[in-house]
Amino acid sequence: MKLTGRARLMVLFAVPVALMSVVRLWSGEDALTSSDTIGASLRLSVPILLAGMAGLWAERCGVLNIGIEGMMIFGTWFGGWGAWQFGPWVGLAFAVVGGMLGGLIHAVATVRFNVDQIISGVVLNLLAFFGVRYMSDLAFVGQPGGGVSQSPPQTSAIPRFDIPVLSGGEVFGWKSPNILLNLEERGWFFLSDLAGILHGLTHNLSWGTVIGVAAVPATFWILWRTRIGLRLRSSGESPVAAETLGVNVIRLRYLGLLVSGGLAGYAGGILAIVASSYYRQGQTAGRGYIGLATMIFGNWRPVGVLGGASLFGYAEGVKLVANDAISTLFLFVALAAVLLVVAAVVNRNTTRGIVTTFVAVVAAYAYLAIDDVPESLTQSLPYFATLVVLATASQRLRPPAMAGIPYRRGESH
Amino acid sequence: MRCGCVALCRGGVTVPQRGWVWQYLSMPDSAANGSASANGTAPAVELHNISKGFPGVVANRDISMTVERGTIHAIVGENGAGKSTLMKTLYGLHQPDSGTIAVNGTEVEFGSPSDAIDSGIGMVHQHFMLADNLTVLENIILGAEPATGGVIDSREAARQITELARSLGVEIDVNSPVAELGVGQRQRVEILKVLYRGAKTLILDEPTAVLVPQEVDELFENLRRLVDAGTTVLFISHKLDEVLAVSNRITVIRQGTTVGTVTPAEVTRRQLAEMMVGSDLPQPEPRTSEVSDRVRLEVKNLSVSRPGRRDLVHDVSFAIHSGEILGVAGVEGNGQFELCSALLGREHSNGTVAIDGKDVSHASVRDRKNAGIAYVPFDRQREGLMLTSSLWENNLLGQEEKFTKYGFVNVAAARAACREVISRFGVLTPNEDVPAFALSGGNQQKLVVGRTMSMNPAVLLAAHPTRGIDVGAQAAVWEEIRTARDAGLAVLLVSADLEELLGLSDRVIVMFEGSVVAELSPRDATPELLGSYMTGAKVAAR
Repeated sequence: MKLTGRARLMVLFAVPVALMSVVRLWSGEDALTSSDTIGASLRLSVPILLAGMAGLWAERCGVLNIGIEGMMIFGTWFGGWGAWQFGPWVGLAFAVVGGMLGGLIHAVATVRFNVDQIISGVVLNLLAFFGVRYMSDLAFVGQPGGGVSQSPPQTSAIPRFDIPVLSGGEVFGWKSPNILLNLEERGWFFLSDLAGILHGLTHNLSWGTVIGVAAVPATFWILWRTRIGLRLRSSGESPVAAETLGVNVIRLRYLGLLVSGGLAGYAGGILAIVASSYYRQGQTAGRGYIGLATMIFGNWRPVGVLGGASLFGYAEGVKLVANDAISTLFLFVALAAVLLVVAAVVNRNTTRGIVTTFVAVVAAYAYLAIDDVPESLTQSLPYFATLVVLATASQRLRPPAMAGIPYRRGESH
Repeated sequence: MRCGCVALCRGGVTVPQRGWVWQYLSMPDSAANGSASANGTAPAVELHNISKGFPGVVANRDISMTVERGTIHAIVGENGAGKSTLMKTLYGLHQPDSGTIAVNGTEVEFGSPSDAIDSGIGMVHQHFMLADNLTVLENIILGAEPATGGVIDSREAARQITELARSLGVEIDVNSPVAELGVGQRQRVEILKVLYRGAKTLILDEPTAVLVPQEVDELFENLRRLVDAGTTVLFISHKLDEVLAVSNRITVIRQGTTVGTVTPAEVTRRQLAEMMVGSDLPQPEPRTSEVSDRVRLEVKNLSVSRPGRRDLVHDVSFAIHSGEILGVAGVEGNGQFELCSALLGREHSNGTVAIDGKDVSHASVRDRKNAGIAYVPFDRQREGLMLTSSLWENNLLGQEEKFTKYGFVNVAAARAACREVISRFGVLTPNEDVPAFALSGGNQQKLVVGRTMSMNPAVLLAAHPTRGIDVGAQAAVWEEIRTARDAGLAVLLVSADLEELLGLSDRVIVMFEGSVVAELSPRDATPELLGSYMTGAKVAAR
C-alpha cells in the first residue's frame, strides 16, 4: 500500500477504532471506548510518554539513559515535597529540577568521565531509590500523614477543565453544550466510539497533563526544525563529523541529558501531584523502563513515542476502569489478526500469514474460554505488543548511530 | 619554481643522478610555469620551509611549494612520505615547528581547522565525516546553518546547496539520508560541505582511493568545473596516471621533503615514479608460477541469502589450484566479505565447498580450519587482533590446541612461536609482550599475516592484505604471499587495490551485487575494464 504519511496515520487510527466499535457492538461491553476509560488512559499515558521523551532526548544526543526511572523517582520526591510546601505549580517546577539533577549526575558520569552509560544509569536508579528514602526520613518523618515512605498529603491541586462546546466546559460562566458526551451516549457504530474517545481526551483535563502532551510537538519542533536540534542530533549520529564542523558535542550532550532529566522529573511530578496528591515510595512503578520501551517502539521519534505511550496507557486504563471488559480485548486482537491475515495473503507473505493466523486462533480461543483474566496477564499485554513490534519492525528501526558510544574530544575514528 | 631548489639545497636530499631531473629542477620559473594559469595575482597558497616533527620522526622537512590560483595541483609521494602531514598542517589540524604559510599573499597562522576554513581552505578527508541517518542537507549545513531566530531555514539551505551542486555539475536530492548514497555521491556531499562553507581552496586527501575508475572520471570532471570557476584544488595521491591526467602541476614529496614541482607535459609516468621513490618502484609485477592441476579449493553454486533481500552471494562457483592466486575484484560491499565468511563457515550458505577434495560444506569453522583454510581478515583490528592483549597471546589465537596440554597453555612454547613470527616476518617491536595496539598498522598486519602463514594452510583467504600499510611492509606481504603460492598454496585474494590484484593474481574474477560477473586473465584486464565490470556497466558471460 502506498499512502502518504498523513493518510497512513488516519488509517492507523481509524481501523482500530472501527474494530473497537465492532467488538463493542458484538459483546455489548461499552467500556472499551467509553470516555471514562479513555480519560483514565490519557492520565496514565502521560508519565510514560514523558519518560519516553526523556529517553528520546538522551539517545538523540548520543547517551543511553537507563536512569530515567531514577530521575522520575527524584521527580516524584521533589515534586511531592515542593507541592506539599508551596503548592502544586511550584511542586511541578521542583520535580523538573529534581529530574535535571539526576540528568546532570548522569551527564557528568558519562560525558565528563566516560563511565559506561548503562552502569551509570543503573547506579543512578539505585541512588535515587535509596537517596529519596533518606531525604524522606529528614523531611517527612514526624509530619502529620508523612513518613519514611510517603509525604504528607497536598492541600491543593492543579486545576482541571473541560473544553467548551465539545465537552461542556464553561466560558465566562456560560455552560456550553456537551456535544461529544451526547453523541457518545447514542451508541452508534463508529461515531459514538469516536465521540467517546474524543470526550475522554477533552474533559476533566488537568493543565499538568496538557503541558505534558505538549512535550511531543515541542520536542519535534526543537529537534527537527531548529539549529540546536540539528546539532544535538548530529552529536548522537556522528560526533566526530559534528566536532570537525565546530559543533560542541560535549556541551550538547550535557544539554540533551538535562532536558532528558527535566522531562523524566516532570513525569515523576505528574505521578505525585496530578495522578495523586502525595509522594509515595515506589510511585514510579517501573514506568521509566516502560518509557524506554515506548521510545524503541516509536523508532526514536516523538509521534511514535506518543503511539507507544498511548498503547501502554490504554492497557492500564482499561484495567483500571473496565476490568470486566478485558476479555473482549482478546476479541479485538483476534479481529485485528484476521485483518492482518488478509493483508498477508494479499501481499503473499507466507511467514506473516502463518504467524497472524496463529495469533488470531489463540486470541479467539482465549476470548471464548477465559472469563476472568488474571491481572498479571493484562499487565504484560503492552510488553508483549512491544516485543511483537520489535520482532517485526526491527529492520526498519533507525536508532541514533552513535548512542551509547562514549565520545572523547579530538579522538577520530 | 624556487621551491624545488630550496628543498634540494637545504634538505640535502640526494637525487638520482639522472639528467632529466636536474634539467627540470634547474629550469627557470618561466619555463616550468608553462601551462599553469599564472594570471598575475598572488598564489592561492604558498608554503615556505615548513618543517613538522613528531616524537622520534621528522614527518616534514623544509617543504616549500607554491599553488597558483585556479589550478589543480597534485601532491604525490609514497605512503609515509609526509603528504598527509603537510596537508594537516595546511588545514590547521596541527601547527608546523617552523616555516610559514601564506594564503593569497598574506601570511597566516592556523590554530585550528576553523581558522583555515575562515581563510577559505577546506578539506575533504579520505574517510568521510558524514552522519548516515541525517539527510544530505543536514550533513552539509551542520555547524553553519542558515537560521532565523534559531529555526533552520531549510528552503534557503536547499536553494544554496542546489546552486552549489549545479556549479559542480551534479544532481543531488538534498532530502535523502546519506545512508542511501553510494561512495561517489558521499564524496560529492563532502565536497559540497566544504564549498558551502565558502572554501576557495579545496584539499582532497586521496580522493580516488575509494572510487572505481568511472567514478574517478566523474570526480575529475567535477573538479575541472570548479577550477574553471576559479577554485583551487590541491589533491593528494599516489596514483600517477590520474595525477598526470588531471593536474596542472605536480609536486613530488619524498622522505618528508619536496623533491620538485613539474608539469605533466614535462614528465613521463616512469620519470615521475623515479622522482617519487628515488629508485625503481617496488611493484607487484606478475611472475610466472607453476599452477598445478591439483584443485585445492573448489566452490560450487555457493549462495548466501537473507530473508526478503537479494542474495548477498549468488551462485558463485570457482576452483583454485595448488600454486594459484585467484583475485577477487569488486566495489566493497558486493559480497566479498560474505563470500569469505561463507568459505570460513561463519555464515550459513547453500552450495558446496571442498578443500583438497574433502567436502566441508557443512563443517564448522574449526573443522574447516583443520582441513587447511586460513584467513587474513578484512579489518585486522576488528577481526584479527585483540588490541589490548600481548603479541604472543594474539599469535596464539586460532592455534590454542597446538600449544595447550591438559587445558594449560604452554606459555614458553607460545612465546617462542611468536618470536619466530616476529623475526621471520620482520615485525618491528621490542618484544612479544607489548600489546597489539602499540604496533603500527603495517606491523599489526605483518603479525596477522605471519600468524596465518605459520599455520601452514592449504588455502589462504587474504582480504585486503596490504590495506593501509607502508610500501616496505606491502612488498614484504606480497613476497610472503608469493612464496607461499610457490610452495603450493591456493590463495583467494580480495583487494580494492587494482594494481595489487592485477600484479599478484593468476586469474581475476569480478563480483558485482553478489554474483561473479567476469573472469579475466590479468594480462587482458585493464583497470578501466575491471571498473566497468565492478560498477555493473558491463556484464560478460563467463
